[in-house]
Amino acid sequence: MTDPEFVAPTMLHHVLDVVGVDDAIIVSGGTSLAVMLKQRLIEPEKLVWLGRVAELKGIRQAADGSWRVGACTTLAEVAASPELWRDAPMVAQAASVVANPRIRNVATVGGALVHADPRQDLPPALLAAGAIVGIRGPGGERLVPLRNGFFRGLMETAVEHGEVVTHVCVPPRRDAVEAYRRFTPQSVDDYPTVSVAARLERKDSGRAGQLNLALGGVAPTPVLVQTDVANAAAAARAAASPTSDERGSAEYKTAMAEVWTQRVLAELLEGET
Amino acid sequence: MKLTFHLNGRMIELEAGPTAFLVDVLRSTGLTGTKEGCGMGVCGACTVLVDDRPVSSCLYLAPCVDGADVWTVEGLAERFPQVVDAFVAEEGMQCGICTPGQVAAVCALTLEKPAAAEPEIREYLNGNLCRCTGYQTIVAAAKAALDA
Repeated sequence: MTDPEFVAPTMLHHVLDVVGVDDAIIVSGGTSLAVMLKQRLIEPEKLVWLGRVAELKGIRQAADGSWRVGACTTLAEVAASPELWRDAPMVAQAASVVANPRIRNVATVGGALVHADPRQDLPPALLAAGAIVGIRGPGGERLVPLRNGFFRGLMETAVEHGEVVTHVCVPPRRDAVEAYRRFTPQSVDDYPTVSVAARLERKDSGRAGQLNLALGGVAPTPVLVQTDVANAAAAARAAASPTSDERGSAEYKTAMAEVWTQRVLAELLEGET
Repeated sequence: MKLTFHLNGRMIELEAGPTAFLVDVLRSTGLTGTKEGCGMGVCGACTVLVDDRPVSSCLYLAPCVDGADVWTVEGLAERFPQVVDAFVAEEGMQCGICTPGQVAAVCALTLEKPAAAEPEIREYLNGNLCRCTGYQTIVAAAKAALDA
């Protein structure tokens, strides 16, 4: 393999100038990319590192009250955000349990989305929260809801070559209650066998009882299930189409999707009374 | 590529390939305290501090440290002598392969969570694997370092 070119632009428009040409691969935190390089799964001609683009970092509130999280915000920064713990606690929770502190200090929100490994923690939480991804390309900016076509398949997303994820907007929970839980039978820093993120509208809101449930680890992409409490467990089971691997058989994962959905809901409903 | 960064408090300039990893670049300077274990960010043996945050140097592309402040166990031992003293006093090691990473992680802990109680200490160190000690003496060393 010949050495790729390594470029580190400081402005977003400079990033856009270079990502569309050659076989360029974007590097954010690089924690997953590093493993793919080592395994020779990718042999890029150019690496475009986003770490010096200040406008891609940080968490701030948009005019509509949603939280705009820059693509290069680290998982540690998300996990340390009091605003996200208040307004989207399952997102902060999910970021706080990824791997170990060393990974969380480097891995980023945009990286987690674009890598699109269905075992990751953050995507189901963002999916259940109704987050919207901002993508910039040569034609300008477009906004793609995670619920509507962002995840295309195993490690495939709506982000095209030449485009960059700039941010994700997370709507606040307002009256809803929510939680993210992961089942890691092997070790706590492993990928979850099954993970469940749930945002449940409360009785006193106009959308009482509506449940947005997102499952990780049980399909080629995170799966969203929009249902209610009574039907949640059966819907989770029906939505699971896992493959058997070292973290469990397909049958076991399907059963665990149901069990962990029930556990998360029990926890949320207990908090209600 | 030419990289310029602070290494253990001193400015250093060196050449590294665009896909070189930090652990290899550090070891090539003669600082062989940092060990590579799993090579995939799981075991913690290669823990170093970049801008005072612990990272896995086996997954960290070397060009990304250009302009950064990098500390390995060699420099950390001088910067945080109380951490080394605590590991020695509590016998927080056996075979020693994980020790540079454990020491680096505890140094980061003293910066990030100086008042950490035991559950927080264990949480912070859960990605630094040790196959010898059973962790009791490592946690004791971390506690002693924070109390020092």
